Amino acid sequence: MENRIKRVMSDVFNIDINSINKESSPDNIENWDSLKHMNLIIALEEEFDIELNDDDIVEMLNYKLIVEIIKK
Amino acid sequence: MKYSEIIRLNNELEGKLEEAEYKVAILSNIMVHQSKEICEYLLRIESVNANVLLGGYDNIVQDSVRFQDANVIIIFWEIYNFIDGFQYKIDNLSEIEFEGIIKKIKTEIDLVLINLDATPLVMINKFSSLIFDRYQLSTNRLSQLANLLNQYLEERVNTNIKLIDIDKVMSRLSINTSVDLRYYYSSKTLYSIDFFKKYFEYIKPIFLSATGKIKKALIFDCDNTLWKGVLGEDGFDKIKMFEEVQYLALDLAKNGVILGLCSKNNASDIDDVLFNHPDMILRDDSIVIKKVNWNNKVLNLRSIAKDLNIGLDSLVFIDDSSFETDLIKKKLPTVETFQVPSKEHEYGLMIRMVSNLFYNPSQTKEDTQKTHIYKKQLQRSKEKESVGDIGSYLGSLGLVLTVHVDDYDQISRLSQITQKTNQFNLTTKRYTEGDIKKLIEDRLKTVISIRVSDKFGDSGLTGLVILDNCKSTIDVLLLSCRVLGRNIEYKLMDIVINFAKNKGIKTLYSQYIKTMKNQQVSDFYEKCGFDKMGRVDGNFQYSMHIENYSSKNIGYIRVKNGK
Repeated sequence: MENRIKRVMSDVFNIDINSINKESSPDNIENWDSLKHMNLIIALEEEFDIELNDDDIVEMLNYKLIVEIIKK
Repeated sequence: MKYSEIIRLNNELEGKLEEAEYKVAILSNIMVHQSKEICEYLLRIESVNANVLLGGYDNIVQDSVRFQDANVIIIFWEIYNFIDGFQYKIDNLSEIEFEGIIKKIKTEIDLVLINLDATPLVMINKFSSLIFDRYQLSTNRLSQLANLLNQYLEERVNTNIKLIDIDKVMSRLSINTSVDLRYYYSSKTLYSIDFFKKYFEYIKPIFLSATGKIKKALIFDCDNTLWKGVLGEDGFDKIKMFEEVQYLALDLAKNGVILGLCSKNNASDIDDVLFNHPDMILRDDSIVIKKVNWNNKVLNLRSIAKDLNIGLDSLVFIDDSSFETDLIKKKLPTVETFQVPSKEHEYGLMIRMVSNLFYNPSQTKEDTQKTHIYKKQLQRSKEKESVGDIGSYLGSLGLVLTVHVDDYDQISRLSQITQKTNQFNLTTKRYTEGDIKKLIEDRLKTVISIRVSDKFGDSGLTGLVILDNCKSTIDVLLLSCRVLGRNIEYKLMDIVINFAKNKGIKTLYSQYIKTMKNQQVSDFYEKCGFDKMGRVDGNFQYSMHIENYSSKNIGYIRVKNGK
């Protein structure tokens, strides 16, 4: 699952999949702005066929949190 | 395909296409940022080098000025966001407030239409109330407003504007799948990814037509494709027509699509069905070309393209056998190939989907006669085979060129030939109806079109030259492939030179812009006596002193002035 998340992140932000780590966040991924964040959420929802709630969406602001929330 | 995959593949295609950039601007009063990659991707896989620019949020009027020079503009103008929360405020507005909003929107529509008057192609989504419309019988303001504004739009649109029925897209998908209200309330993003995928598929034919990538001929296998059963085994009386498919194909033929057969059968057996079977809808006179023999279908499709003088990439082929469709997909990948679906009830739907590949923005008189015209052409080629001397054959045709200048009545057809002509086209400039209208109105440009007729019939409007009198340049010179091989191009040059002389031009300039398909005209200007001056941006430039022009004196073509 973690690989699928990384894959989606690398597609959406157009970055190397190997550069994504636990600390990856809008602070170190230049492309990660609010519009791209929405794209990421939509892509993740499509990838895992889930619907995230509003609080989760706001919270998912680094790779570690994304993994935690999707595991839920 | 998933959204993240589309983003990735689109990024991979970025900068890989050699075609000139095709600028698409999307204007909206909601957020539509996910449309960018989806639109780009769907066009880039068709070799349209799209670059999608997004307008500012709720900035349609301002952006209609800012993006005037785009190749295409798409407008998402949502009623629900005329003012914040309009979908629930609308029924509580006073009459005066409501009228005020209508007036404001109408003024904005007027401004946008004026600003985009010269943009080659503009797609405006029709106003829709579908998403927030009340699910009840009584009418309400929201749907009334949508109807009223759509009527207002329809009364005002120019030929460069296409109104897109967005409700059709939503009804295919369902409203719930089309929208994501979570994001609408939080960030004014109304439409879902699924919607955008469907939407751009839906409007793609308009892009393909505007960029000259539209299909021209639909070629059918016969057994289990036009009818159920195998003629050679089941027999004349036992085959059962696919009536719906045949009716749909007949309609395409009436709209200018060339129909053909490519089937492994005895030619006489198929002819018997075409002429005599009581249930057959497609008759011999609607079929332009038949390759009914036992040869391999790769050879047959190649010779169909050659006989019709069109590219293989203009062909669509339908066959029931996966062996044949796989073979064609592998050997002739540019032919768009479809297999008859195993579920019979899906076949009609598939043909409707296939018909989009032949999208025709404006049906012209030539289209309705095209089957007839192409049949005449094949008849002429047959005569060419039997007459030994080509000169005397051409002389026997009784060719007449009728010349029209700046003719308003021909705008649709003129735009269409710039978009469809690939082979005998020196500059391959694609002009929309809006462009042609402007060129006709421009006093410094002369739009010369020719009709070609002979004793077999009228080939219709088949040649176009646009002369820029100010720059003394031939901007466009093209001939439809169905009149080639008759030295008409040299007679056309005589006509062009005459016009140039009358405009006082002493030295005439021209250029050849190379494309994948116009190799055959690479030396045309030299053959006409132009001198090569060199290359600019890879395109060959030519010039000629008019007084040095020597006509090829094609005596057997008569020139007539149109009205």
